[in-house]
Amino acid sequence: MSFLEAVGRHATRQVEYVGGLSIQFWQSLRFALRINPFSGRRLRWTRVTAQMAEIGVRSLPVLCLVAGATGMIMALQSGAELRKFGAMEAVINLVGTSMTRELGPLIAAIVVIGRSGSAISAEVATMVVTEEVDALRAMALDPLDFVLAPKYVAMLVMMPCLTVAGVFSGILAGGVFAYFSLGMTLLMYFRRTAAILLLRDIVSGLVKAVVFGSIIVHVGCLEGFRVRGGPEEVGRATTDAVVKSIFLVILADLICTAFFYFFWR
Amino acid sequence: MTGDSRSAREGLVRRQAVGEPMVRARGLRVRYGSREVLRGLDLDVYREETLVILGPSGCGKSTLLRQLEALERPTSGSVTIGGVDVLKASRRELEKVRRMMGVSFQSAAMFNSMTVGDNVALPLREHTDLADSTIRLMTRMKLQQVGLSGVEDLYPAQLSGGMRKRASLARALALDPEILFFDEPSAGLDPIIGAGIDQLILRLKEVFRMTMIIVTHEMQSAFLIADRMCMLDRGRILAVGTAEQIRKHPHPRVQQFLQRIPDPFDEGSSSYITGFSG
Repeated sequence: MSFLEAVGRHATRQVEYVGGLSIQFWQSLRFALRINPFSGRRLRWTRVTAQMAEIGVRSLPVLCLVAGATGMIMALQSGAELRKFGAMEAVINLVGTSMTRELGPLIAAIVVIGRSGSAISAEVATMVVTEEVDALRAMALDPLDFVLAPKYVAMLVMMPCLTVAGVFSGILAGGVFAYFSLGMTLLMYFRRTAAILLLRDIVSGLVKAVVFGSIIVHVGCLEGFRVRGGPEEVGRATTDAVVKSIFLVILADLICTAFFYFFWR
Repeated sequence: MTGDSRSAREGLVRRQAVGEPMVRARGLRVRYGSREVLRGLDLDVYREETLVILGPSGCGKSTLLRQLEALERPTSGSVTIGGVDVLKASRRELEKVRRMMGVSFQSAAMFNSMTVGDNVALPLREHTDLADSTIRLMTRMKLQQVGLSGVEDLYPAQLSGGMRKRASLARALALDPEILFFDEPSAGLDPIIGAGIDQLILRLKEVFRMTMIIVTHEMQSAFLIADRMCMLDRGRILAVGTAEQIRKHPHPRVQQFLQRIPDPFDEGSSSYITGFSG
């Protein structure tokens, strides 16, 4: 195979993948929009709440720990540099804005990819291998409706919640630094942080959370649905889902950041 | 059952004149990459008959069944179920066709995260507006029909292989289907449990007069339950007929299969084995 052929084949596969992801996204959107707790099939909402617990509640402790540690690291690292210029108080601005705009959603996404993205692809891939997806189709149930949509709704609700929790943990860790290094009380620290945060910072963080959550669910499910063959394929699908999710989340982060930089200054 | 699915069923019954095939495949070809698995099959399955699809491993039996179940699209050809061409059918039409079918998979395909009761109740919860108490009652009845009582609250992993197959059958029967598909109903089961499944199929046939399409390579079971048999080999139909016609069929490959005569031993594998035994 020539070099050009190999490049062409690889490019075609990537375009095919993005196409598959887009088709799955649009097809599942109408199922996801139909899910609500007051009407429709009760089973859907039960599955949504189960997924909310799995994606959200169970990720919370590890997320708070990771985000808190990151906030503290950032405060220590920037404090060491800013001390030279006598601008220690700028640590508060740095921790507050970077956690809200960037690190909060990104850390939440990485934790959710590791915990739930891999679990989603493993679950869906196992369902394909054990013919459960075929059983759904044979029962006139769309796997996107029954399997993907509840996970998607749960992710859309929980990712912003996790992001808020992550941002709060990171900022709190910065507050501990401020207490010991600047002699500032936590109340003063939070007032200062609230004063420097703009609506744009909060909105961009939450928009990123929703975009990242969509990527994690759709990549996890697509990798699972694409499995052909035996149980050994489940492991491959899980690894691929994690790697592709991290790559696409960072790419989406860049696009979102550029968008807010140019269009909402 | 919902009004929607009842009217769809009545429509199907009206369309199906006596003697007209319930399931029809024409010129069915399936190719995976360069490998052609089905090579232009024509097959009719009539109302209330039990058709058993037989053949050696890898001959395309399960692929044919998946085509007849409308779970896969063929490379070319057509499949008609209850008068509806599934390749040309709209999403809604295909859903109606699928609500008239029950499928029991080789691996049972029970949802492991749900109890057996919830598995059987799933089609009723999704396709009907029945009250929960009625669904629970119907679930118990369906499980009793297949000889399983008191297992509603167990998880599929807590059942034996035979019990899982029966539970999967109960789920397939949940919406009282017109057509029932079985993939290897007694594969991996001991002869006693296998015989129990055969008896269950015979009872369903007698009581509910369903159209059944069964894939198996268990000869004893096939001759017991079949009205007609279809023998496949290398993606082609070798013979179709009653049990007696198949028994007397002149094709050497059919006789080889029925009499369990192995293919001629190939030299390569022979010397390989001799090398081990010295």
